[in-house]
Amino acid sequence: MNLVRRLVRWSIAAYAVLACTNDPYPSTDAPVKVLYRPFDEAPKTLDPAVAYTTTAHDISGLVNATLLEYHYLKRPYVLVPGLARAVPTAELRGAQTVYRFELLSDLIYQDDACFGAHHGGARTRPVTARDVEFELMRIADPEVNSPALEPFAHVVDLLAFRQRLTALRAADPAVAVLPVPEQYARARRIAGVAVTSDTVLELALAEPYPQILYWFTMPFTAPMPWEAVAFYDGQEGRPHLADHPVGAGPYRIVEYDKQSRIVLERNDNWHGARHPEWRAPGTVFPVDVPAEDLGVTVPNTTPGAPLPFIERVELRREKERIPAFNKFLQGYYDASGIVKESFDKVVQNDRLSPEMSERGIALRKSVEPAIYYVGFNMDDRVLGAPGGNRAQRLRQAMSLAIDAEEYLRLFLNGRGVPAQSLLPPGIFGFEPAYRNPYRTPDLPRAKRLLAEAGYPGGIDPATGAPLRLTFDTGDTSAEGRLNYTYYINSWRRLGIDVELQATSYNRFQEKMREGGFQIFNWGWVADYPDPENFMFLLWSKMSRKANNGPNTANYSDPGFDALFLRMKAMESGPKRLSIIREMRRRLEEDCPWIPMFYPEQYSLYHGWLHNVKPFGMSTPQAKYYDLDPALRAERRRVWNRPVLWPAFLALGLLLALVAPGIATFFRERQ
Amino acid sequence: MQAILEHHWFSNAVVAALLLGSVALSVFVHRNELWRGAARELGRRRPVALGVLAVYVGIGLADSVAWVDGRMQGEDVVSAHQPRSAVERAFGGRPEKTYSRPFAGAELYGTPPRPLAFPGRHPLGTDILGRDTLLLTLRGVRVALLVGGLTSLIAIPLALLFGVSAGYFGRRVDDVVFFVMSTLASIPGILLLIALVMALGQGTLQVCLALAVTSWVSFCRIARGETMKLRELDYVHAARLMGVSEVGIVWRHVLPNLMHLVVITFVLMFSGQVLVEAVLAWLGIGAAGSWGQMIAQAKDELSREPVVYWNVLAAGAGMFVLLLAINSVGDAIRDILDPRTRRERE
Amino acid sequence: MLAYVVRRVAYGLVTVVGVLFLLFLLFFTITAPDDVARKALGEKAQQEQIDQWKRLHGYDRPLLPGPGHVRDNMLVEHFRRMLTFDFGRSDADDTVILDRIKDGAVPSILLTTPLFLVGLCLGILLSLFVAFFRETYIDRTGVFLAVLGMSLSILLYIIGAQFLVGKLLRWFPISGYDPDPAVVWRFLALPVVVGILSSLGGNVRFYRTVFVEEVNRDYVRTARAKGAGDGRVMLRHVLGNAMIPILTNVVMAIPFLFTGSLLLEAFFGIPGLGSMTVDAIDNNDFATLRTMVYIDALLFILGQILTDVSYTVADPRIRLE
Repeated sequence: MNLVRRLVRWSIAAYAVLACTNDPYPSTDAPVKVLYRPFDEAPKTLDPAVAYTTTAHDISGLVNATLLEYHYLKRPYVLVPGLARAVPTAELRGAQTVYRFELLSDLIYQDDACFGAHHGGARTRPVTARDVEFELMRIADPEVNSPALEPFAHVVDLLAFRQRLTALRAADPAVAVLPVPEQYARARRIAGVAVTSDTVLELALAEPYPQILYWFTMPFTAPMPWEAVAFYDGQEGRPHLADHPVGAGPYRIVEYDKQSRIVLERNDNWHGARHPEWRAPGTVFPVDVPAEDLGVTVPNTTPGAPLPFIERVELRREKERIPAFNKFLQGYYDASGIVKESFDKVVQNDRLSPEMSERGIALRKSVEPAIYYVGFNMDDRVLGAPGGNRAQRLRQAMSLAIDAEEYLRLFLNGRGVPAQSLLPPGIFGFEPAYRNPYRTPDLPRAKRLLAEAGYPGGIDPATGAPLRLTFDTGDTSAEGRLNYTYYINSWRRLGIDVELQATSYNRFQEKMREGGFQIFNWGWVADYPDPENFMFLLWSKMSRKANNGPNTANYSDPGFDALFLRMKAMESGPKRLSIIREMRRRLEEDCPWIPMFYPEQYSLYHGWLHNVKPFGMSTPQAKYYDLDPALRAERRRVWNRPVLWPAFLALGLLLALVAPGIATFFRERQ
Repeated sequence: MQAILEHHWFSNAVVAALLLGSVALSVFVHRNELWRGAARELGRRRPVALGVLAVYVGIGLADSVAWVDGRMQGEDVVSAHQPRSAVERAFGGRPEKTYSRPFAGAELYGTPPRPLAFPGRHPLGTDILGRDTLLLTLRGVRVALLVGGLTSLIAIPLALLFGVSAGYFGRRVDDVVFFVMSTLASIPGILLLIALVMALGQGTLQVCLALAVTSWVSFCRIARGETMKLRELDYVHAARLMGVSEVGIVWRHVLPNLMHLVVITFVLMFSGQVLVEAVLAWLGIGAAGSWGQMIAQAKDELSREPVVYWNVLAAGAGMFVLLLAINSVGDAIRDILDPRTRRERE
Repeated sequence: MLAYVVRRVAYGLVTVVGVLFLLFLLFFTITAPDDVARKALGEKAQQEQIDQWKRLHGYDRPLLPGPGHVRDNMLVEHFRRMLTFDFGRSDADDTVILDRIKDGAVPSILLTTPLFLVGLCLGILLSLFVAFFRETYIDRTGVFLAVLGMSLSILLYIIGAQFLVGKLLRWFPISGYDPDPAVVWRFLALPVVVGILSSLGGNVRFYRTVFVEEVNRDYVRTARAKGAGDGRVMLRHVLGNAMIPILTNVVMAIPFLFTGSLLLEAFFGIPGLGSMTVDAIDNNDFATLRTMVYIDALLFILGQILTDVSYTVADPRIRLE
């Protein structure tokens, strides 16, 4: 009897443990407008002058307000003022092109300890044009190592300032330990950056470079208080600036745990929060777009309402994509891409599946301004320029053997547009009707070209065996191997024996630098929507081997270079288009790349998330989002009821297995 | 060196050597009364497991014999110039484009799904690249046997050499060996493995070498202890007095008395290596074509909708059955050969 | 006694030196510091930045002692740093390694302590149970199930559990971690269960052998002849006498509680020291990797010394050679 009672008590206890939930968040947060997003790896740095990854911009873009922004809803992309009063226009002053930025008045930074350390207990201070100048000097500073140096090299005297600074530090070690603003002052300010008042900054360029304005939408040029640079130095328990950005944006970081979570809260010092009456662009939801053009679900009350709607943004670490996606399906993340493994469940006939629609999930598609390609090393004896006409035929044949559409179907569920040239949709110069003669798969023609190249049936006359080439990659994952096997199998149908060399990332980079490779694949995501940002990937001055630039194929063609230099700073128009067409024609014949595809982003949003529109550029748009926490809590509850009967079944089976044995055992002993 | 090892003639020669070796071994076992009894006892106790192992070894050997015949596999032109093994010839040559279910007539995905080139001819389905899962699983047998076998073949002689010399000669030799052993033993195995593979580079041979370095220590310790005991036995003293050389004593009196431990260790080590290799494969540094790699690849496939279970199931089952057979044979061998348990049974 | 302890500790120190030397071989002589620097700084790094990075991380010295730099070289510096616990900064993201170890130790301990304790108790109980019913079908089934469990790769355990329990049955979150004590157990439950299950087979088989060996000894027969009950014999006599092999296992496992489980943490997204190690592998972060190896080895050596010393304290007849 005693035993029975004990058994009952134990099963109640077991039930209490099993009456569990998969909710990863404290229940107190359920009624709050918190936006939950996953992140796979914390950014190495959030220093706006340095950070250059999507995750970093997702965070620093919310913290560091920029002078200019993109219009949230309009396509093609349109610039609108952010901290600036207006989008400046180019003025010609002699040989120089000048942009005059005027900041809004009465801007202040977020509350931060760094101000108190320098201004006796102050919690914040006004944003001035000097802070923008300071950030531009940081971009020039070799010790900061900003990836944005190249575009800002157009600014008059900026590179000279960089050299003055280096010389000064080398000449006098005492200078190198001074506070950074002091060092910059000693190196004389940049002549091309004139601060004429607290709110006005004039930027002088040595030559026309209209794309410079796009760089002012990125955190690189966000105003930076020198106090933060001085205070967050990693000494005496203070964090590094890289882990503690200070800005004037709509959100500020309240918790920064790189291993598990990053929490941002509304910044009450943001000008949108302090001066809703200004109705400045970027501080209210846009009203200047007709409702039918929005392409987003927007509650009627939203247009014109002051931003932001979301109280808190929480990023949780999810190293693996699939668990993150499953948590989205369970309602624990508000938006998500689609992992390829579940694509057929979510999307059917290119539309959302009935099951997902029933759950109130919405699907949005957008082609990203990006290109993925397979490149040849143009310095290679067999494949590159030294191989002359033979190598060119070989490259063309190899291009004809690769079916990008099938690749997309197999590995990306068809999420992408097969590429015909290096310019993706949405970028000036992209022409939907254009067909590259070497990018429509044609095996017989490929075999003919291969024979013309001197490799009939793939046989290399020098060895009498199939031509052997190598495909280098820094991706050693099992999944990566599958991808590469697709290329290799395609070329095997021509009789070319391509060997995969999957090495560590370091070793791969080293090979790329030294030019010791033959075939590789790579992707490029636009910094800003301009063809120059793609064409420069094949400009000889950007060669990886010679100048460690992004021209990884080491392509070098004087004719192409000349056209590129003409096209570079031109206004987009018919003249520019004809130059781009000529460049494209050269590339298709020369075939230094096999353009593979432009990735297409399929994003899913739960029904409780409003105002979302996919945005190709990596600037965060969370300040425009809104959500309905009550609906979310209800859906989560319904979707996540645990299934408990298998636990009891297993317990029962175990008992049934063991009990007869025990019974027999004791009976026999008596 | 690498090129020679990867040439198909080398692998064919190894198969021939293995066959000859096993004939020689069975002759030896048959002549030696003790071993013959043990072999019989094992056959009596574990007939099924031994049968399973024989099948695995057969597949592994068949997959190691390869030749070039100029015939193409599907549309793959290069394959005509490359050696293919007996297993590849028997089960290969039916490439599809992508996933299909076991015995399916059409691809898994797509609305509507495209028909397969060889409908109903894939008893275990195909993987993402349309390769036949049965073929991949069978080819994994050779890799598993290679990883388990080669590693043990490197580790056990190494352990015997150091363990016996440390135990027999003692003093300085023992000090040095014991120092190396305790150093290696105090580094967690998996981390040492990773560091070694990163240092040696990738490849099946490198993985085996790294596994051998991390696994010889435990057997070395046993061999050392056992040798110390044997050294003090009366007949060894007698042999020494009669002027038999040290090498002769080790060869004639010490090593034969360690053989039962060698057999037990070989079997136990084998299953451990196959399991560890799966973890390495997950970290992206395993042996090419192993079941571990298939499991690591298939990991995400369980989250696919509709679910793709056949790859992970085939690789998991291939590995599981092999290990189960080895473990149960290992248990029996230990019972039969270990003097301690032998005493208990009597 | 004291002399023995001193000798044992001294030998432990010699082993530490051996480990450090091996680490030096593996981590300093094989990969050029320039490559590590490039990986950390990105492709666009200039040579001057690489030199600066190497200075900061201590890779700018000559490799071995030589004339003019007897002390100022990487070998000596490596030993000095490791022995004084001055691990420096991560090669990948410049974080202070010691801080990360402090942060990562908590989740690791939270994961491994219940895993270890429950796993141990369950393993002992089950094997006692099986040993009690030895030679019946319960014993045979139990041993068969144990061998079955041992023959499954831990990868399959983890993948299967995430699929079944996390996805289909929705008992726990599939993965993740939150230090908030109100929710932390939800994340730890599944990895703990998986960890226990995957090691249960091996444990049961090991302990069963130990117990069966004890059961067959004379004193057990004597006790039973004197009329002691079955449960009493199993618990008091058999378990009591099997304590030494069990204790050895326990003491040797304790150091690893701290360093966590590589696979469980990585799969379940628990930001402990195991994940930290896997991250370091992915990022070629040699500084973190060698620190983790060193700490693991250090704890292991310490555990060994404690075991040996506690044996001699418990039973003065036992002396290690």
